[in-house]
Amino acid sequence: MESTDHRRFEELILPHLDAGYALARWLLRADEDARDVVQEGALRAVRAFGGYRGGDPRAWFLAIVRNTAWSWRRKHRRDAEWEEFDDELHGGADPSRDADLDRLGAVEQVHAALGRLAPEYRDVIVLREFEGLSYREIGEAIGVPVGTVMSRLSRARKRLEELLIRSERSAR
Amino acid sequence: MTHDEALAMLDALLDGELAPPEAREVEAHLMGCAECARVRERRLALRERLLHARNAITAPADLRRQVGNAIAGSGVTRFRPRWRAGAVVRIIGAAAALLLVASGGWWMATRGAAERELQSELLASHIRSLLPGHLTDVLSSDQHTVKPWFDGKVDFSPPVTDLAAEGFPLIGGRLDYVGGRVVAALAYGRRRHLISVFLWPASSPSSALSVPSAAPALVTRQGYHLLRGDCGAYTCWLVSDVGESDLQELVGMLRPSGSGGE
Repeated sequence: MESTDHRRFEELILPHLDAGYALARWLLRADEDARDVVQEGALRAVRAFGGYRGGDPRAWFLAIVRNTAWSWRRKHRRDAEWEEFDDELHGGADPSRDADLDRLGAVEQVHAALGRLAPEYRDVIVLREFEGLSYREIGEAIGVPVGTVMSRLSRARKRLEELLIRSERSAR
Repeated sequence: MTHDEALAMLDALLDGELAPPEAREVEAHLMGCAECARVRERRLALRERLLHARNAITAPADLRRQVGNAIAGSGVTRFRPRWRAGAVVRIIGAAAALLLVASGGWWMATRGAAERELQSELLASHIRSLLPGHLTDVLSSDQHTVKPWFDGKVDFSPPVTDLAAEGFPLIGGRLDYVGGRVVAALAYGRRRHLISVFLWPASSPSSALSVPSAAPALVTRQGYHLLRGDCGAYTCWLVSDVGESDLQELVGMLRPSGSGGE
């Protein structure tokens, strides 16, 4: 990396470290994993920076962090217990699972609820609400047609709303 | 369009992913469907909650250090010192710019202080509105619902226009107290972001609200832009984390002659 590149990296990418960390927190359930992923993502970004050709630096960095999180998940088989997730099978409420959401702050409740979403639901929420991608871009990122993005996002939001409502009830 | 079809497309509508003819069909169904209206409100509330949760996260300081070290160890020499020095230079530069703006005579300084105080209040109000459940007192994208809601609550009738077709969907309205008086606040969406529009009559007797015209119309604080606009008979302030060009575009449409973007 040339020294002018160093400065550009500092100025363009490092201001988005908070966003990268928040993105990793949303995609991974354990905070420790999020830290490792952001660190790994930043290193990947440094190595890839020579190929950065302008455009939105935040979007560029977040896409790297997201891909790092996805490969991390595959490698460490996190979320394995969710691989069989199906709304039809798991739709019923299980009060014991909600105990951990009890009495959390509003922000923590959102994180906890996201953590309980199936990864494929969590991913579309993150791609849309966090990275702000269009349905077409989301479809390209996860390799599904736009129609699937639309229906999956709709189901994911419904499920997230249910989880949040339940956590509020149990907090009362 | 059947109810199930409309419901299935509701998310796409809120995400701005429908072509105008489809969007009109779904909206037509929404007008008379209480269930869809409930789902829509839940979705808007969820979006607001997610936005707030996202913005509430910052990287821990030691993680920042670790990343700095990791990058330094990857062969990027003298990385951290320059990072810090760069930040210091930027802070000094920003402070100098602020000082320049603030200087310009005692009179201007006093007026400037009043305006800065006003800006602080507006920014605080905007940030408060991002907390769950605080965004709007009246949650509706229908200007004919929002406008009458202000009747009797403020001593003026604020202009309320839904600009969804122009990319700024009206989300709702609320009351706020800034500069020593009750003002109207409208919430508009812009992609995933929220814009607060504060309005009060331009002929307001409160000195804090009749601002000096020489002051810069756009300021940036804590990563938020505040833009003072001329909305005809009203003074308006726009507060958001969206870009300046989006704010300028919206203020242009709020001006009576440019309303509706026609």
